[in-house]
Amino acid sequence: MRNLLLSSFIALFLCGCTFGHYGRLQKTASGEEPKPIFGDNFNSFLFKTNITVYGKDFSGLLVTKQMSPGDYRVIFTTELGMKLFDFEFKDTSFTLHYCVPQFNRPKLLNTIREDISILLMNDLKGKQFGHYTDQKQVYSIAKLTTGKISDYYFTESSSGHLAKIEHSKKRIKKTIFTLNNYENDFPRNVIIQHYNIRLKIELNLLKK
Amino acid sequence: MKNILAITLLLLGLSGFAQAPKGFTVMKDTTAFKNKMESQSKLTNTMESDFTQEKYLSVMSEKIVSKGHFYFKKTNMLRWEYTSPYSYLIAINKDKMFIKDNGKVNKYDINSNKMFKSINEMMVATVQGNLLSNKDYKAKYFESDKFYLIELSPVQKAAKDFLKSIQLYINKTDYAVDKVKMIEPSEDYTSIDFSNRKTNQPVGDEKFTVK
Repeated sequence: MRNLLLSSFIALFLCGCTFGHYGRLQKTASGEEPKPIFGDNFNSFLFKTNITVYGKDFSGLLVTKQMSPGDYRVIFTTELGMKLFDFEFKDTSFTLHYCVPQFNRPKLLNTIREDISILLMNDLKGKQFGHYTDQKQVYSIAKLTTGKISDYYFTESSSGHLAKIEHSKKRIKKTIFTLNNYENDFPRNVIIQHYNIRLKIELNLLKK
Repeated sequence: MKNILAITLLLLGLSGFAQAPKGFTVMKDTTAFKNKMESQSKLTNTMESDFTQEKYLSVMSEKIVSKGHFYFKKTNMLRWEYTSPYSYLIAINKDKMFIKDNGKVNKYDINSNKMFKSINEMMVATVQGNLLSNKDYKAKYFESDKFYLIELSPVQKAAKDFLKSIQLYINKTDYAVDKVKMIEPSEDYTSIDFSNRKTNQPVGDEKFTVK
């Protein structure tokens, strides 16, 4: 009996950690498809950016620029103007144009690349989403699954603004993107918080 | 055929000489210039100025412009502060470096980090114009009617990877650095223009400590 109780607690605890959050989502017949925040307007966006990785702080300016449909350039420089990395995302391909040795570590570089790629939402066209809502029906949630990875796009039903992206593996949260302070339908603040490594990226819009 | 060969050889030969940027000629008397810079640097105990920094990225249609103010005090004290469009402060006080960002202050020992050491050297030398004596750079000297232009190319491979050259525009009237341009191998660059400069005015030591 005691073992059964203990097992039940462990089972409940595990459910709470892994499946609870997503398990509570209610499936809907249809819903909002996530709208890319950068859109197709060829504008450039300038963010004051802080990257905190394993206790080390890097700060600087991040620029995103759409070069042609489906082609984005993303450049990170220090405040003093020194270029730290220069990425290009073209449809599903990626080009590393430049990177200083401090960032040229495969795991870190791939993680930042994946984060930016998720934020650009560049390759969502034609993808099949599952549609859900939360219990309070605040959000319209679109789920995109590729293998073991699922991305959940939380669009606030009242405003139509993308409020959150949850990037998960086997239903365990890996990374949460929070998009705040919308002005003219664009978030002035974006926080990318990782849960499996000590990495946080914060973007604050300076100019678009 | 002989003519073509002669012209080609001539062109190849010419390209080996220091090519002066547009509006500049190769400086005639570099020794006099270096002596004057050195004596001017000795006379400067404090300096402050506004600055405008422009970052040119070939992929962008507009430059990224940021503005701020700096203070310098002998020996080796510098406060470099961006005020627009963001707040960011670097203060160097002898062997300590402070960075204030988002209201958070980080303090570093300059000697503990090679990168900070080179940032320190570069910033102080930029303000004072004494990069000329630095063995890590090879210098070329040019002049126009208003400016001396010193083009410095890094010697070490590690620096060459991210820096093609530094151009210092030095005003012929007061031998002060009016503009610095840092050019990357990709030809993207950062330029810093100085204005409202004041020299040898009292500057308190508290400017170089950040809490």
